[in-house]
Amino acid sequence: MSGHSLKDPSTLLFQKQWIRRWIFGSYMALVLLGLPLWWRTTSIERLSLPTLRIDSLGGKELHLPLSVAIDAASTGTLSDSLVHRLRSTFESRKEQAPNLYSHLEFSVDSFQGAAPPDTYSVSLSEDAQFPIIQNKHLSVPIHQASKVPDLLISLLTPYETASPPGTFRHLVAKYSPRYRLSFTLLNEDAAAGKVVVGWDVAKMISRWIAPILEQTSELHNFTIESQIRFYAPLAFEPRILSNGEDMVHGLTQEHLKVFVNPAEWTLASGVSNDPVLHFVLFVPSDSHSPLRILNDASQPIFSDVFVLPQWGGIVLLNLPTDVPPKHHLTETELDHVFSSFQTQLRRLIGVSDLPPGVQSADPDRPLTDFQLDTLYRQRAFENAGSSKETLQSIIKLVHQIPNMPVGQDVRDDVRGALSALEVLYAGVWRVPASALQHSSRSLALASRAFFNPGMLALLYFPAEHKYAVYTPLFAPVAVPLVVTLLREVSAWRKDRREKRSAT
Amino acid sequence: MHPFPFSTLVFFLCLALHVESTNTDTAREAAVHHFFTRNAPAVPESAHTNNWAVLVCASRYWFNYRHMANALGMYRTVKRLGIPDSNIILMLADDAACNSRNHFPGCVFANRGHALDLYGENIEVDYRGYEVTVENFIRLLTGRVEPSVPRSKRLLTDDRSNIFVYMTGHGGDEFLKFQDSEEISAFDIADAFEQMWQKKRYNEIFFMIDTCQANTMYSKFYSPNILATGSSQLGENSYSYENDEDVGVSVIDSYTHFVLEYLEGINKTGTTSMKDLFDNYDPVAIRSHPGVRSDLFHRPLEQTLITDFFGGVAHAEVITDRPTEHYSHTQGSSDAAIDPMEKDSRPVHELAEVLQTFSDGTGNPVTRLLRAWGSVSIIGLLIARAIFKTKR
Repeated sequence: MSGHSLKDPSTLLFQKQWIRRWIFGSYMALVLLGLPLWWRTTSIERLSLPTLRIDSLGGKELHLPLSVAIDAASTGTLSDSLVHRLRSTFESRKEQAPNLYSHLEFSVDSFQGAAPPDTYSVSLSEDAQFPIIQNKHLSVPIHQASKVPDLLISLLTPYETASPPGTFRHLVAKYSPRYRLSFTLLNEDAAAGKVVVGWDVAKMISRWIAPILEQTSELHNFTIESQIRFYAPLAFEPRILSNGEDMVHGLTQEHLKVFVNPAEWTLASGVSNDPVLHFVLFVPSDSHSPLRILNDASQPIFSDVFVLPQWGGIVLLNLPTDVPPKHHLTETELDHVFSSFQTQLRRLIGVSDLPPGVQSADPDRPLTDFQLDTLYRQRAFENAGSSKETLQSIIKLVHQIPNMPVGQDVRDDVRGALSALEVLYAGVWRVPASALQHSSRSLALASRAFFNPGMLALLYFPAEHKYAVYTPLFAPVAVPLVVTLLREVSAWRKDRREKRSAT
Repeated sequence: MHPFPFSTLVFFLCLALHVESTNTDTAREAAVHHFFTRNAPAVPESAHTNNWAVLVCASRYWFNYRHMANALGMYRTVKRLGIPDSNIILMLADDAACNSRNHFPGCVFANRGHALDLYGENIEVDYRGYEVTVENFIRLLTGRVEPSVPRSKRLLTDDRSNIFVYMTGHGGDEFLKFQDSEEISAFDIADAFEQMWQKKRYNEIFFMIDTCQANTMYSKFYSPNILATGSSQLGENSYSYENDEDVGVSVIDSYTHFVLEYLEGINKTGTTSMKDLFDNYDPVAIRSHPGVRSDLFHRPLEQTLITDFFGGVAHAEVITDRPTEHYSHTQGSSDAAIDPMEKDSRPVHELAEVLQTFSDGTGNPVTRLLRAWGSVSIIGLLIARAIFKTKR
């Protein structure tokens, strides 16, 4: 009975040899078709970068022409010796501080009549009392003729303070196309006595800060915010000095470093990723008034203003004893404060001071062309350098880390940065502002390429990890396929042998 | 020929080498040390202007309470020493304080007596819960974040930043687990640091890690200016310090406990050096052997202040309009702030090398050279003898 109900296996449709081979063949085709897909989806996109072009940047440096012309009509016989002395002063300065001058191609000449365009001209004048700057022209009283070389070189030196002449490079904030300025009025403790409830901040900013921001708009874009806070305790106890009836609370140099109490002061809002420059007006409470800065000999000094490098500036304001308990700071009280803020801002964005005694002819413009151009040149030089370094490190890292992807947008940014840089190196930039534009564009693109989120390298993945991942996935599928393949091949060969022996 | 005199010769050569290496090590090191430190200023200022801290707790779940406490303890300390919250990136699974098993809701304690609540009122966790991933950590370090990522989740450092990186969790030989689902290897961190160095995203890094076999995690670093320390060497576990019966789990790891205890004695203006911190390690108390790696770090550890990495500002400059009253104190220090690295990188580098030999005990470069050539000459002698023998 049962023998009859069972069919002969060779007559079953699905046991037909050709069907079995078709099924097997489809599986194999699927695997073979899948291989390229698997290869494509697991490999990393690494577009080639313009390595050669970037390598060829290696030896190049940015050179900015800087020509000075001396008015022969006013200097007369002095003209030649001035030219000579200017040249030697520049050379000796360049030897002392190559990183400030090496990118300048300094040339000096004398001229008759009208000053050549895009040069800084110098003349001696008989009726002037002090050196005066008008646009790109420096006019020095004739009795100060010997000071001309030093004055001029100082004017063309980036990051220089007036007195004593020295560099403040370590204070200057890192270049950023955008900054946020945060003005904060801090009452140390409003609950303990007098409190400042208001200040004319908008008026003061437009008087002291806005002109500078306007003049440096080629360099940076500024956003301003301001706030008043009523509780800002110090994290330390100032040193008490007293001579008889007068008592002074003193801040030593160590205190200045830890003056800002970030754990308890809220100084800036975190609304954007732009770097913040802080300007803090600190009003000490009655128990810490008057608060003064001490020198090394523990004596209070005249100044109550200090700068924290790249962070911002702080001004101490001791209220007079006769102010009402709720005080509104007036313009006259704030003038000193905001002029200090202005000085601090100039330091932080890197504007050199005018040499002592030099005046600007145009009181509406707080910064002279000399100062602005010097800053443009320095920033252009720095930006070009760091853009070049960024491009080189992208190439180096891509070469060094084989798992790092390089996408289309990265390549475009690298190419853009490179072109801007090549234009910059090829050109002769008599107008420093346009060199600056190219350099900051190049830096922005290079940084964007470097920080591209797609550039994240895959994690370190050793070969044994790959086997560990793929074996449990593919072994169960691969075993029957391989076994079937072997069986089918042997069956086919057996068939063929039988057929041959039959014929 | 004369086998006896020859082998005696080799024997004496070996002996001489051995005696030389043991005898002169310390004397020579002292001399070299003295030579390089005699001109060094008493307390040089670091070249950095801002400090950042990246604190990573790579574990989650209630039974890993102690890792959360480790990271929070560090958070409290760096904040107390003056790093602003905006410059602290805290990565924390953060499932301990408000865990339903926590008998003290909203609190995390790191000691048996519940003396100090680490969670407190003012805590800013930047990467929380499932955001603590290897990818986010690498993105944070390299700066390769999406444009939409807020400021609080970014490491906005530059070439004047000193960064303190602290990691804790469960790990092993050259890896650290992240929340039981993935792991970061020593190679990944080393590559991330290299990328930071290439983009000038740091001045110096102080890397500290508390996990099992922690010292393997910094073994792959190759970028300059990194000082690294770990809780335990290869093949060694890092243990917890103490249990709390009320909390019901271990509350802190041993290594972190002793480091925090030491840092507790330091204030913002402290002048304690890194060397003091490392000398304070006691393998018996910690129950593992903490390691230090300073070969990439180019400043002597005696002159590297702890506040260089844990503190706030390194430098302040008074502005005065009156030239006569210029505050002269800052004059000398500003020189140091400009480029101390460039000024004396050579002796400092060699000194760092010498210092390192104190810790690993392989002798100073001169002896190493002597010993290497000594062994070569012994082998040469033996080979020569063999050749002559076969010819005969």
